[in-house]
Amino acid sequence: MFRWLILVSLCTPAVALVLMGCSTTEPASRYVHEGEVAGLASGVHLISDLPHGDWHLPAGDAANTRFSPLSQIDTTNVAALKVTNTMSTGVNRGHEGQPLVVGDTMYVITPFPNYLHAIDLTDPAAPRRWTYDPQADPRAVGIACCDIVNRGASYADGKIVFATLDAHTIAVDAETGQEVWRTRVGDIAIGETITMAPLIVKDRVIVGNSGGELGVRGFVVGLDLDSGEEMWRAYHTGPDAEVLIGPAFAPFYDTHREANLGVSTWPTDKWKTGGGTAWGWVSYDPQLDLIYYGTGNPSPWNPDQHAGDNKWTVTIFARDPDDGQARWAYQILPHDQWDYDEIMENVLVDMEWRGRRRKLLIHPGRTGFVFVLDRETGELLSAQPYQPVNWASGYDLASGLPRKNPDKLTRQGAVVRNICPSSTGAKEFNPSALSPRTGLIYIPAHNTCMDYEGVEANYIAGTPYLGASVRMYQGTGHHGELVAWDPVGERKVWSIKDNRFPLYSGVLVTAGDVVFFGTLDGWFKAVDARSGQQLWQFKTGSGIVGNPMTFLGPDGRQYVAIYSGIGGWMGAVAYPSISSDDPYAALGVVGAMKDIKRYASPSSMLYIFGL
Amino acid sequence: MAISGGDACHRRLAAATVIVTLTWTTGCSERTSAPPVSLMPPIADVPVGPVPGGVREDRSVLGNPVAGDPDALRDGRAFFVAYNCSGCHGDHGGGGMGPSLRDASWIYGGSAAEIANSVVQGRAHGMPAWGTRLTPEQVWQIVAYLGSMRTPREPDPPAGG
Repeated sequence: MFRWLILVSLCTPAVALVLMGCSTTEPASRYVHEGEVAGLASGVHLISDLPHGDWHLPAGDAANTRFSPLSQIDTTNVAALKVTNTMSTGVNRGHEGQPLVVGDTMYVITPFPNYLHAIDLTDPAAPRRWTYDPQADPRAVGIACCDIVNRGASYADGKIVFATLDAHTIAVDAETGQEVWRTRVGDIAIGETITMAPLIVKDRVIVGNSGGELGVRGFVVGLDLDSGEEMWRAYHTGPDAEVLIGPAFAPFYDTHREANLGVSTWPTDKWKTGGGTAWGWVSYDPQLDLIYYGTGNPSPWNPDQHAGDNKWTVTIFARDPDDGQARWAYQILPHDQWDYDEIMENVLVDMEWRGRRRKLLIHPGRTGFVFVLDRETGELLSAQPYQPVNWASGYDLASGLPRKNPDKLTRQGAVVRNICPSSTGAKEFNPSALSPRTGLIYIPAHNTCMDYEGVEANYIAGTPYLGASVRMYQGTGHHGELVAWDPVGERKVWSIKDNRFPLYSGVLVTAGDVVFFGTLDGWFKAVDARSGQQLWQFKTGSGIVGNPMTFLGPDGRQYVAIYSGIGGWMGAVAYPSISSDDPYAALGVVGAMKDIKRYASPSSMLYIFGL
Repeated sequence: MAISGGDACHRRLAAATVIVTLTWTTGCSERTSAPPVSLMPPIADVPVGPVPGGVREDRSVLGNPVAGDPDALRDGRAFFVAYNCSGCHGDHGGGGMGPSLRDASWIYGGSAAEIANSVVQGRAHGMPAWGTRLTPEQVWQIVAYLGSMRTPREPDPPAGG
């Protein structure tokens, strides 16, 4: 079904009416299936089609592998990579997302005010075919916790779909730049924004809210791709009927089965301002027909104000994309007391696991563990640390529960020191990539720790509901690390350490066995996917917090694109509007990041590289 | 943290601010130097933009009636936390969602009267209009606290930087 839609999406609206004609006139499919990828590692099976030339979804594919089957650029020639084009997007804030490519057009969505640029790739000057300005409400700027970022768009059925900071989701005609529909999904008056990239699944647009630092109630909605109409809404706190927990709900663990846990695991009414937002990445398995995503922290950060397990915050959900009904849920961390949102990517792949092929979901967590789940059942198969962790000594696979360290439990009125990782996690939103050729997942990680004091938070709608005084700093040893992780062997195979800054960019891996990623001080790097050996680097003009993607140009040659525009929660410390003499500022990240002011300034560059 | 420690005045203040509709009553017993609420001068309406031909009476230079009062600085710090200013502007004003208040840069004017106006009226990119929640005295106390930043008088300065 998904593949069919991709095919449809490649056709112009006029010819899309005649499906057969369309599919035969398309020169070569711009998406390929597993069988067309050479050199797959033993026991590794891809579960969704891969972008071959185009890039329609935030991660390229629905399974969120960020693997490209393109191989013109490989380990033998990547050293010759050079800049072929540059462009300013015009907005000097954090560029966390990635462009899309549909045919000979590249689509770029900027941070607020969320301009959508359509760039003509056939012209060496890369002029804009059009720019769509959604006229987003500037009042949204003041309620966005962690810079005014946007993590990208999705394309299908002739429409570019993206969200705006003022909590709307918009579909724009990919040919003309005309607005097709606009739906208000959230309310900025109560602190709701949207920063995530919507995922298009069949005829649904899946998108969720941000605002976990403002006491919003987290949710995900399913919009109709044709009309933008809201078809379902699933909250992440509250009664089962509003969480869309019904007869189909079959979680693996007993602790998740009682009715209305989204109410009973909270102090009276606190679930109404309890957070659990969804601002990261959504994955889709076309065979099981399920979407997967994680939820954020309970609000506020002061744990004494939300006694209980706080379901369904810090939870991975599996849902039916048609009606939103939950199939299973797994709460990674009951009663989070460190702001460990688990909205990170869920990479879907089938692998040989202890002697049999299993449908896996791999989630490199903010908590510092790589979680491997059975994505049919929600059973936890593995949870091993990939960065220094001291808030828990490990996970009990039988119960799915962490073994919390009593010395690191936070509370109101006491400073608990040296908690690792910090609230920014062992990794942030910036997504990993998985190569089916190596069977490794490449995780952009960092090593920061923190002192944390719970502070009484007052709920005032539309203002921060934070409740903690936090100061972060670099952990012992490295600051950033690209970790090549073997999910089946549960071990690090190789890594590249950055002693200066956290690793805050996404990762791309290709069939040329090249891994691409960027650093906060602006280096864009290519390394060997098997050994980690550095093959090439280029110094961009600002810090990199975006995600690399790759495509075939109209000339049939492979290109790699990346944004260079420092920002996001940690990167925003580079801005003049944040002072370096308050280590508690910017929700505590200044302590870990103040040196960034010497290495990166605000920028808005798109770089394209080719051979 | 001032709001969670020490003296009874600040504990009371912290408790009172849980009710977000609070209005400042008679304050703390040791308060002597600031004028009582009824005598607190209103916050002047200062134009944010340039005035064609210049202003006749520069109200932006009107001073803060509680400037330099150590009680006002402490109370201002407590209100800065209790009203979630710290969530946006940084725990000690260093910035974050909103701009730093510790530096010398003021988008809408840096005099006490201009800062008080920004607090009361709100500003376009997300600063709420706090005149709907705060009394003039609370505003002046917060403005006094902001003015003490990076000076020896700053209460509860950021440590460990």
